[in-house]
Amino acid sequence: MTSRHPVTTITAMNANHVLGLAHSAAAVKDVPPGAGGFHVGIIPIALLLFVLGGIGYSVSRARRGRTSAQHDDEWGRREQRPPAAAPTAPEPSGVAPAHDLGAAPARARRDVSFERPAGGWAVETHGLTKRFGSNVAVNDVELSVPRGSAFGYLGPNGAGKTTLIRTLLGLTRSNGGTTSLLGIPVPAERSRALAAVGAIVDEPRFHPHLTGRDNLRLLAAARGGDAARRIAPSLERVGLTERADHKVSSYSMGMRQRLGVASCLLGDPKLLILDEPMNGLDPAGMHQMREMIVSLADEGRTVMLSSHLLDEVERTCDAVAIVDRGRVIRQGPIDELIRAAGTASVQVDCADPARAARLIDDAGIAAGTSLTDAGLTVALPAAASRELVADINRRLVAAGISVYGLQEVRASLEDWFLSVTTRLGEQP
Amino acid sequence: MTTPAPAAEPLLSEERSPVPPGRTPVSRRLGASMPTWPLIATKHLELRKRRGLMITVAVMLIGPAVLVLGLRLAFHLFDPAHYGPAGDPSTFDAIVNLLAEFGFIIAAVVGAAAGTTDLNDGVFRYLVITGRSRLALYLARIPAGLAILIPALAVAFSMVCLVTAYEGTPQPATVSVANGVSVPAQLDQAQLQAWVSAHPRQAAQAFAPSPVPGSGPGRPTKAQDIATEYTNYTAAEDAQLNPAANEMFKIGLWLALEVAIGFLVGLGLGALTGQRTLSTILLIGLEIIVTPILARVQIPYFLNGQRLDVGIAMDQLRPAALAPATGPGPGGLLFGGRGALGIPLMPTWAMISVIVGWIVVWSAVGAWRMMTRDA
Repeated sequence: MTSRHPVTTITAMNANHVLGLAHSAAAVKDVPPGAGGFHVGIIPIALLLFVLGGIGYSVSRARRGRTSAQHDDEWGRREQRPPAAAPTAPEPSGVAPAHDLGAAPARARRDVSFERPAGGWAVETHGLTKRFGSNVAVNDVELSVPRGSAFGYLGPNGAGKTTLIRTLLGLTRSNGGTTSLLGIPVPAERSRALAAVGAIVDEPRFHPHLTGRDNLRLLAAARGGDAARRIAPSLERVGLTERADHKVSSYSMGMRQRLGVASCLLGDPKLLILDEPMNGLDPAGMHQMREMIVSLADEGRTVMLSSHLLDEVERTCDAVAIVDRGRVIRQGPIDELIRAAGTASVQVDCADPARAARLIDDAGIAAGTSLTDAGLTVALPAAASRELVADINRRLVAAGISVYGLQEVRASLEDWFLSVTTRLGEQP
Repeated sequence: MTTPAPAAEPLLSEERSPVPPGRTPVSRRLGASMPTWPLIATKHLELRKRRGLMITVAVMLIGPAVLVLGLRLAFHLFDPAHYGPAGDPSTFDAIVNLLAEFGFIIAAVVGAAAGTTDLNDGVFRYLVITGRSRLALYLARIPAGLAILIPALAVAFSMVCLVTAYEGTPQPATVSVANGVSVPAQLDQAQLQAWVSAHPRQAAQAFAPSPVPGSGPGRPTKAQDIATEYTNYTAAEDAQLNPAANEMFKIGLWLALEVAIGFLVGLGLGALTGQRTLSTILLIGLEIIVTPILARVQIPYFLNGQRLDVGIAMDQLRPAALAPATGPGPGGLLFGGRGALGIPLMPTWAMISVIVGWIVVWSAVGAWRMMTRDA
């Protein structure tokens, strides 16, 4: 298109010609240079308001997306598939009975040695301290996590579990003490140490506007090496392959947790640190996460998880450290701690408690008996099986004592935990 | 025949395969401060997939050019008797000035988003946990963000240049200077002096000084400085002639620098505050309120302080072929737009120092905060 209106002089646009639509040949006239100028007027203001509105809309949309995803449990359940390493016969209810005397644990615990290994502990701290003003969140922590174990870091809410993990990973600076991961000092050689560590802190967070796969690409690019090659296997491992190309904003909490585990696996970690991995999960999700943790530990990786869910730690971990008010008050293999916590017992409701007590004491099958207002309490030896309860019943019936009921009472990690920890808000 | 096994996840092994000769171990690369190409590419992806942000970039950078030029082209096409050609110098100046204003603002918006998105989405700590240097994480955002802004700016500016060059008014052979006097176009200073000598009467009218009380109206003076005449002549020429290709190139570079500064300052401020909205509002305020005021009003004993504003330094760097956003009188964006400096110019070294200082200081502040922030 060429001009059919040759002009000799052209004015600058004026305020009435914002878009220049009236800039016709008729409007062309002699005006001294610089006397006009582009009067932007209402258009830039409108565009500016449009931009600010767009920003506000984006923020509110992102918030809505997060909220809806957190309540999107139904979808999450439909899409959940058992991970590759999960057993084919999950528990029907998804939750095992909490006080099932003599029930076999979900798996046999590994033998955990607290002798110092040659390559150093998976996690080791000495005198680690972190303060926030006058509040001591991590208080002179001495922690040793054996390699190749599933290790629970157990404590009530507000005990400083997340702060310890953040300090271990160099996310926040400590106020004192030393830390090493896989025998490598942190923060001095933080990059080298973290190259073999995967972690979820607090809760897994991702860019909600990106797909699960894109989020993993982002993290893999930060990790470098072979991490990008592990995206697909990691998604497969956690059962998210089919939803990998959906935006994370549409994920349920359980799916985000699994995506978090997938992100941990990108670095083929020797050590995984999971902070409250069961948070926000429904029973099926908890079961899957539990199996995932066990399978990771079975591969020889060290899994350190923090939790306030005693039952989960008891089911999942080989060893545990109990933390209260920022201080580690006990640590060791779980079996040893439970034994130290006391024996299980059976409450016997029978016709003649006194004779029943003598009978059981004479048989030497119990650790002890005691008579209370409620009846007879029989303390069982450590590692007693369910058969012992049946044996007590048989002996009483054979002796002609009418038995009305046997109530199993188990001294669990929970009992011991509650006895050694202070509740939040109480004075130590 | 067996099919090859699919690529499996590398197994955990205490005895990992040794690093091939000549390659750096991953753990050592993670600590390096320079971002890798995949990291830059994924940061670019992360920004690019923000639909609202990309729409804003398109509307702010490409929208004005499309809207103004599109309408002018359409109106001229359908009613050439009443509507002139789409491209002319004043339209060029107007759109380029708008690109400069909006370019800085949208660059600040993108920069603030790039500096805060990982923090706001809670992803920052997971990037830190990878062991990657925090400095590398910060630096990766610079090419990633500029790779979005500069192409968008290039598209808009190319449209303006193409329309001006191919759909504009034919270049006049003369330039109207003053009092209806036309002077041949494209003269250098010596040629203008020769023309003045050859046409003293017309020159007297064309370059008449402002009437002084007591003197004759518009009477030319022999002491008229040819340099002043040439300045007036080139100002008239800039307003009436399309910029030459090399001038367009300079203007394009100046626009790119304006956008780059906006992005880097937004990135640094966003990383420092961790708040996208606050950073955006502060920088919009700087661009459309603070800078125009500081550029026009000389504050006593604060001239050097005013000169520390990067917008003023950039206005001084503005290519001569680009007229200011406003001439005398009202108009412009809020406080009058950019480009018309009402304060004494600063030395060139000071201007460059201010521009470089803003880039370096804000980048350093953002990187420092990113490296020291609790994740």
